[in-house]
Amino acid sequence: MVESGFSEDHLDVLKELMNIAVGNATASIADLLQTFGTMHIPQIMISDMVGLDAYIKNAIPEEKQYYITKQLFGGIFSGEFLFVICENSAINLGRHLYDVNQNPTDEDIHDAVIELTNILSATIISRLTEELNTKVQFFVPSTERIVGNSIIGQDELLNYHKIIIISTEMVFEDQQIGGKIFILTKDEMIKKLKALIDQKLEELYA
Amino acid sequence: MTTIQYPNILLDTLELGSIIIDEDFNVLYWNQWLELNTGISSVEIIGKNLSLFYPDIDYNVLKRKIRTSLRLNSPTFYDATHHNRFIEISRTKITTSSLKMMQLQITISPYVVEESLVMISIYDISDLHELKLSLQDKIKKIDDLNRELYQDQMIIDVNLMIVKINDVNEILDVTKAFINFFGYEETDLIGSSLSDMFGEDFNKRMTREPIDAQTKWSGEIKVHSDLKGAVWLDAVVTPISDVDGNLSYTVIFHDITDKKRLELLSITDPLTKLNNRHWFNEMYQNIFMRRHWTAKNSFAVIIADIDHFKKINDKFGHLIGDKALINVAQILSETIRNGDLLARWGGEEFVILLSNVDLYQALHVAEKLRLAVEKLNIEEIGKVTASFGVAVFVNGDNQESLLTRADNALYKAKEKGRNRTESLENLSK
Repeated sequence: MVESGFSEDHLDVLKELMNIAVGNATASIADLLQTFGTMHIPQIMISDMVGLDAYIKNAIPEEKQYYITKQLFGGIFSGEFLFVICENSAINLGRHLYDVNQNPTDEDIHDAVIELTNILSATIISRLTEELNTKVQFFVPSTERIVGNSIIGQDELLNYHKIIIISTEMVFEDQQIGGKIFILTKDEMIKKLKALIDQKLEELYA
Repeated sequence: MTTIQYPNILLDTLELGSIIIDEDFNVLYWNQWLELNTGISSVEIIGKNLSLFYPDIDYNVLKRKIRTSLRLNSPTFYDATHHNRFIEISRTKITTSSLKMMQLQITISPYVVEESLVMISIYDISDLHELKLSLQDKIKKIDDLNRELYQDQMIIDVNLMIVKINDVNEILDVTKAFINFFGYEETDLIGSSLSDMFGEDFNKRMTREPIDAQTKWSGEIKVHSDLKGAVWLDAVVTPISDVDGNLSYTVIFHDITDKKRLELLSITDPLTKLNNRHWFNEMYQNIFMRRHWTAKNSFAVIIADIDHFKKINDKFGHLIGDKALINVAQILSETIRNGDLLARWGGEEFVILLSNVDLYQALHVAEKLRLAVEKLNIEEIGKVTASFGVAVFVNGDNQESLLTRADNALYKAKEKGRNRTESLENLSK
């Protein structure tokens, strides 16, 4: 049994559901963006804010510039969806979606990054919540361009939260586009997620 | 569960634009917010294609977004503040003019998926955007100021010798200019005491006083640097209180060694290295002005003259004459009391100012000086002697009268055979 009542069984179920959700995302991207992408098997861990900061910094090289899109999702299972894409990938994405050979404008890049985030969050989170027999509400995403990998403010590290980190990586090899996805949920939400998984387990073994 | 009978009214009460549209951009619904803000009535547009009214929209992009929403059965969001992303609506705000057009946030939600219908919700986020622009502008100004501040700090750091100390005289911070001037390592200085560097006298004079009094202090100090030897510094010590009321002090040093050298040159006799007549005149003037002298609390002037100095020059040459002057100056300097002032008056004459003496004491000092000169034995010349004229300040004296009496007394000593001490005043008085 890990902290916060989450057992290895819960983690296994969540991993399995995430595999389904990620597969769903890959198919949707191929359909909607006319490109074939692959997504890595999601990793799931429970951490605190310091651990989250270290995890993100480990996953994202600090020497690049990134577009970071954050989108909140609400419902019984709620949290924050993060999509991090490096500048070169974002430019390639802008080129692909806006069908231009030259460098796309900054506005096009922003729009393309938000569009891909919409698709990723809608497919992954919607599928995950669908599997958990609950509804989800998405909120307007915001994108910002940052240098380095300090996504979490230093002041935030002082706040103690128990966090579930679900992370995966998306790659469109042909278009040289790659990005990291982090799904974060904290504190009370973890208990609610556990209850949803318990229900799912009951349903599976009924 | 209540069914909303008049959804039109509901949509009109919300402060947002609502369009129902199909995948080919045919308009099925156009709410009142849009009618009022675009000037296009629902009667005009419903049943027609959006492209007839807004031909500049990038319909390929819009189609993809609509398709995404329908396929995923989930809302998609985008920022339509950029040209050709969606319909453009003029903004009527008068008091601020940074935004001519409304900044629109668009949400495309699936409406009737089977019929490929979506609802497009249009939110006016202009005020938010304006705040964002204002914030960005302020951040830019702060960044610019910080950049200027940083540049100024760098200029200060490399050009001004500044030391920050706490109330127990420990060094908290130093500038590069200070480190480079004294040739220390920063790590050696932080945490050490200024008095470790400059001695306890410095600590007592310069920092203890303002620290104890919590006041500003400025002054000149002479300190030793391993790198530069003896240096003169002008120092300004300023107390600084932080938000918690903790006091620290900045000490700003300015190297005035060259200035001091020039000053010293201007008041020093180049041959004997004694202070010169110009310096003496200033001191003499000061002593007259400084306090109220009385018969019981007086001061004296002694004028000394090397006997037969012309003969020495004529016989041994000027170089040997100069040597006699240097030797006499040195012995006078060694013999006077602490606090007495000695200067070369000119030629072979010297002048001495004695504070807080009566005639008896003044004669005693003069006689002591005379004997000291008498004992001199200069290699090329042998013995030299000097005559001394003494005058003590009396009521009614001015600078000239006192000096004249001392000079006349010297004349008297010469008259009486030289190598003597004389005064025009009477001891019995």
